[in-house]
Parts: sequence; structure tokens; C-alpha cells
Amino acid sequence: MDIRSQISMVFHLDKCIGCHTCSIACKNLWTDRKGAEYMWWNNVETKPGTGYPTKWEDQEIYKGGWEINGKSVSLKGAGKLRGLKNIFHNPYLPVLDDYYEPWTYKYEDLFTAPEGDDQPTARAVSLVTGEPIDVKAGPNWDDDLGGSIDYARQDVNLKGLSAAEQEVMFQLERMTFFYLPRICNHCLNPACVASCPSGAIYKRGEDGIVLINQQVCRGWRMCVTACPYKKTYYNWHTGKSEKCILCYPRLESGQPPACMHQCVGRIRYLGVLLYDADRIEEVAATPNDLDLVDRQLEIYLDPFDPQVIEAARKNGIADSTIESAQKSPVYKFVKEWKIALPLHPEFRTIPNLFYVPALMPGMASVQDGIYEESNTQFLWGGIDNNRVPIKYLANLFSAGNTEKIVDVLKRLMAVRWHRRQTTVGDVAQEIVDKAMGEINLNGDTADAIFRLTSLATFDERFVIPPAHREESIEMLENTADVKGNTGFGFKERPKRGW
Amino acid sequence: MIISTQPLKATVFIAIFCFISLGLNAQNGERIFKNSCIACHTVGGGKRVGPDLIGITTKRNEAWLTKWIRSSQSLIQSGDSIAIAVFEANNKVPMPDQNLSDAEIKEVVDYIKVNSTTAAVPGAATLATSAPQVPIKSSDIASAEEILLGQHIFEGDTRLTNGGVACISCHNVASNRIIPGGLLAKDLTTVHTRMGGDAGLTGILNAPPFPAMAEAYKNRPLTENEIYAVVSFLNIVEKESATQSATATSPLLKYGFISFAVWIVIIFIVWRHRKKYAVNKRIYERQLKTS
Repeated sequence: MDIRSQISMVFHLDKCIGCHTCSIACKNLWTDRKGAEYMWWNNVETKPGTGYPTKWEDQEIYKGGWEINGKSVSLKGAGKLRGLKNIFHNPYLPVLDDYYEPWTYKYEDLFTAPEGDDQPTARAVSLVTGEPIDVKAGPNWDDDLGGSIDYARQDVNLKGLSAAEQEVMFQLERMTFFYLPRICNHCLNPACVASCPSGAIYKRGEDGIVLINQQVCRGWRMCVTACPYKKTYYNWHTGKSEKCILCYPRLESGQPPACMHQCVGRIRYLGVLLYDADRIEEVAATPNDLDLVDRQLEIYLDPFDPQVIEAARKNGIADSTIESAQKSPVYKFVKEWKIALPLHPEFRTIPNLFYVPALMPGMASVQDGIYEESNTQFLWGGIDNNRVPIKYLANLFSAGNTEKIVDVLKRLMAVRWHRRQTTVGDVAQEIVDKAMGEINLNGDTADAIFRLTSLATFDERFVIPPAHREESIEMLENTADVKGNTGFGFKERPKRGW
Repeated sequence: MIISTQPLKATVFIAIFCFISLGLNAQNGERIFKNSCIACHTVGGGKRVGPDLIGITTKRNEAWLTKWIRSSQSLIQSGDSIAIAVFEANNKVPMPDQNLSDAEIKEVVDYIKVNSTTAAVPGAATLATSAPQVPIKSSDIASAEEILLGQHIFEGDTRLTNGGVACISCHNVASNRIIPGGLLAKDLTTVHTRMGGDAGLTGILNAPPFPAMAEAYKNRPLTENEIYAVVSFLNIVEKESATQSATATSPLLKYGFISFAVWIVIIFIVWRHRKKYAVNKRIYERQLKTS
């Protein structure tokens, strides 16, 4: 056992209102620099939709992620030989048009335009070329099913759904969508790290955050191809690649990442998971896609198990980190309650961002052209009557394993029945008992799920392990020695001296 | 008497001094001559690439000779009528500039002067010109193997014993036998006639008089066999050149274009499933544009 700690996350999709506050928080903090305007380390997509960059999930286009190679896995589009073949011309890279051309407006024209018959307008100007452009797309151009024919119907996750099933998804009265906020998954088996020819990308030992060393990066962009989530971006101005850093400077000072802190719907949870690094290869090389979720969950260990604690201590994991792991909301969602699933586990990167899928029971239907409020004898339609096909959710969150999705939705539904019964009391007891019994959920657990979902405080949602980095530096150096000497932004002594 | 003997003594003394110094000069001069001149010139050994230098010191004055040796081309360009006449009389083969000091030029001229007198005596061997001592084997009778060896040496397929660079690095011959060579130095297609046949070429290869070539082969001289092979090869090349098109184009270019085309086809086949356009291309093309 090689126990390590990993900062991981849960996004509760039922709570996401698609306001993009997270994206803006991240943009303002990290990516409003030249060359980074087009990057959205955090973005929110509408599903069904093609996302950002367009069709990022289609690895036949972008060649990201891993594929099984014998008893192990190898990169689909990068790696030694494939990387070398494409190192000077990599056709599988997303181009700017696959993201979008960032733009601003010539606001000063509003004030400086000469007097005329028409009101002055602020023209759109490209942030890349500086020339006026026709805005063609944005990072959330298909928001709220905008341009469904071009985007929603092109969704990669519709594969495996019959034409009839797809058609039903886009019927007027049944049409539905949900939001999918995405950041870097800080994977256990990161394809970007494996693909980097310069060795610039690394996974931090203490918390598993994946970072690109800007001094080592040579801009080969292999990580951009390799990351199946397309969450590494090439900065055309600095010639280096960049990615989500999970706001590690904030984490080190005990604050949650900006996107999570700002989240209006409070959908985001962050905490530590302990995992067994010896099993990464074995889990990533799981032969059957359908087993991937279960195998991945096995890699995360019980932080209360004395053996695990002992092994973790032996590996240098601080007691405070183990304590955080025990309080981790992520552990509860993922391992205890089993209601959060990884996004696209079939990419085999073992992502550490989990999603509680949106529970969208059918509450109305159209029968013979007549709109009916409820098509069931109960308040909500059953899981089978879910507005988003189970298969579609399975394509997103369980590599096609519909059983996993049904299981999660049943749990979510049982909690909902239980709470309805508790607070309103208009549900027949046998319905509640049946829903709870089917998945062996007791009232206390259901209440706990409800509480963490709906009422959780800031400290319950974000259990950040204390960073011991500063403390260890202070043990070795007197940091006051350089106080007043080192300016902001300098890591190394400039030639002219301080 | 006193008056008359003094000049006599002086004359004798000066004569002896001159003789000794001349002799010393001649010794040094012999070395320089063998290094720099012998490739093209003899003293009393007949014409090679350049004229026989016997009696040259009486024919031309020393100042002119010094200028000529230093840079014959400059002298010609300055409009010196003798220089132009000499140049034209020798098939317009320019004499390479010699990187010699004034003293050294004087030494070599003195050497020629001394040897001119000895050579002029009937029966005296032209000791200074070592090359003619061994009669040169005619390259006309070279075997096919020897010609092939020469070809391989020229091309660099066979390494030179002492590690000199292959001729093709700098020289070209228009021949179907080999690929075109370098353009850094003279084209050698007709060098056999131009540079005095077997004897001239053997001399040049023995002790190259051209600065760049001399430097290249200074410590890496060709062996006798190698020289013969190369000379034979150059001989046959010149003979064949009469029946071959003078401007043999490079087959490399042709093969280059063919293989380029082949590679393009291979690349298009291997990478036929590559991502060729932005995923959004179709959508963007449909959109309205302001201009």
C-alpha cells in the first residue's frame, strides 16, 4: 500500500443554476492575461450540448486520454512514438476556432465617435489580432440549448441512444437540459503528465494537484492533445501551456478555490481522499468499461481504518490531513453514500472530480396533444420516467453502465421521498418505505445526505487540510530575514540584484 | 698593386659570399620549389602545366618575377603586357598566388637561377625536378579496376589511405559515372588536358599548388597508387565527356522530386483520418458575416 492524499471535489448538478459565476471568478483571478483570454479553466456547459472546446468528449477527433494496451494503458494521441510522430505538426490539437476567438469591444468609440445620425456602437474587436471581428462563438455559445441543432443534437454522449430516444429528448414538452460545470479533474492517472516531452507537468505529492512548471514548459502542447477533458490550454503569448491550479495558493492559506468559494448554488464540495497509489495502473487498465466506476471507487480508502491510518502516517501524511480526510464531504458523497460519479471514467485518467447527477423526474407529459401535469399517480415519475435518458447519463458518468446511474438516482429519489414525508407528510408511507428499502437507505443517512446537500455550512462543504508547507519552511529558514527585501512576483534574484 | 689587389680580394670575397649565400638560398629554395612549384613547373625538364623555368631569371628581371609569383592575376589585371602574353601562351591557366615572403621568393628564384646554369650544361641531370626522374606510367593504359578505384576515391566510396577528403567534396566532373560533385572548386571534366596530362596532374596531386587544396592535403598526402588511379579516372572522364552531354543534370533532383511525391502520398494515406478543420467550421460557414 502506497497511501497518498488527494484533494478531490464533488459538484452537485441538481443544485447548479448555470450562472457562470464560477467561470467569472476563475477568469478574473487567473486568465484575464494576454494569451489566456480564450482559456476557461472553469467552464459551465449545457448538457446535452457539445461543450467547450466543441465536441471535446469525442476522442476520435482529439485523441485524448488513455486506451488499453495489453495489461496496461497507453496514451491515445501522445506518448513516445505517437508523440514523436506528431511533435512538429499535431493535427489533433484543438484550433482556436474549436474554442472560440476571444473578443472585447471598442468602448472608447462610444465617447469619441463624431456626431452623426446614428448612435455610436462599440464594435467587437478580437483579443488575438486586435482587428474588428464577427463574433462567431463563445465558450458557452450553446448555453440553455441555444442552437440545439448545431450543438445539442451533436452531443457526443447521444451515442448508443436510439433515434426515437433522441427524438423524445428534443420534444418540446419533454425537452430538458442540465448544467455541467467543469474544471481540471486533477486525475490520479493524468494523461497530461504522461504526455509532456519536457517533463514540465507534475502531480504535487502532498495534495495531488496537477501543475505545469512554467519554467520547464517548452510549449510542445502534447498535454493539450493528451488531456481528454481539454483542460490544459496553450498560452499563445507566453508560448507555454497553462491549466487549472485548483487555486493552490488559496488552498495553502486555508481558503477554497475561487470557483468554489463564489458558487452561488453552493454545489461544490472539496475534501481529501486517501488512495492507494500502487493500484493506479491496475484500475486504469480495467478491461471492461462497465467496471470502471466500481474499480475506481475501490482505490479510495477508508480514512477511519486503522491500517490505512498507519500506512498513511508511514508515508508522511500529516495527522491533520488524515483528520481532514475523515471529515471529507467528498468521501461521504463518493464512498459512503455512493451518489457521486466521475465524469467520463472511460478516459481512464481516474478523475478526482465527482458529479451528483441531476435528478430530473418526469412531472408532466403530453398525451394525445393534451398537456397533463403529472403522468403518474404519485408526485414524481419513477426513475424509468426520467426526463434525461439513463443511457445518456451513463455515457457521461459511468462509461455506459446504466446500473450505476439507476442506483444513484434511486438513492437521490429516496432522499427526496423521505424529506417530503418528513416536512410535508403528504406521501403514503409505503412509497417512502419502498423507495428507501430498495437501496437499504435508513432515515438517518437520508437526513445526512439532505443536510450536506442543502444546509451544509461553508466549513462542511470545504474541508481543506492545513498546508504544512509554510510551517516546514519556517522550521528551516527565518522568513523574517527576507522581509522587506523580496518584492511581489519575484521568485529568483534578478541580475541587477534585489 | 695594393689598389689593384684590394678590389680583387673584395670581388673574390663577395663572390665566395654570394656563392655561399646563394647556395644556402638555393637549399631553402629547393624546399620551396618542391612544395609549391614542382606541380606545374620544371627547370629544364620540359613544359608541364606551366612553362619550363630554365633560364627564366635571364629572361625576366627579378622584380617582375617577384610580382608574378606573388599574384600573377593582379599583374595581368594591372595591364602588364608581358604578363598577359605569358598568360595567353599558357592556355590561360592562371598560376595560383603563392603565400611566400619576399625573402622566400628570392630564395626560390635563386634556386632556379642556380639550377638553370647546371641544367644548361649538356648531360647534367635535372636533379631539381624530381618528378621526371621516374618516368610516369601513362594513364591511357590503366586497367578497368584502376579506373574504378579512381572513381571510388573521387566519390569518397574508398577512403584515402592517409585520410584526405574525397575530391567530390569540392570538385565536379560531368560524367554519367558518378553523381555531380561540389562547386567549391574548379570543374575537373577536362582537367587532364588543361593541366598538362598525366605528368601535370601527378605533380598537382603530389604537391597541390592551390592554397585550399594544399592546406587540405598538407598532412594527408595521396599515395602513388591513389594518384595514378585518380589521374586515370580523370583521363577517362575527359575522353568520355566528348560523347556525353556536357551538362549532365543531377539525377538527385529527379529522384528528389519523385520521392517527395511518394512521401506526400504516404503522408496523405497514413494521416487520412487526421483532424483537418475546426470542428465548428460547418457552423461558422453558415453564419452571416458583416463584410
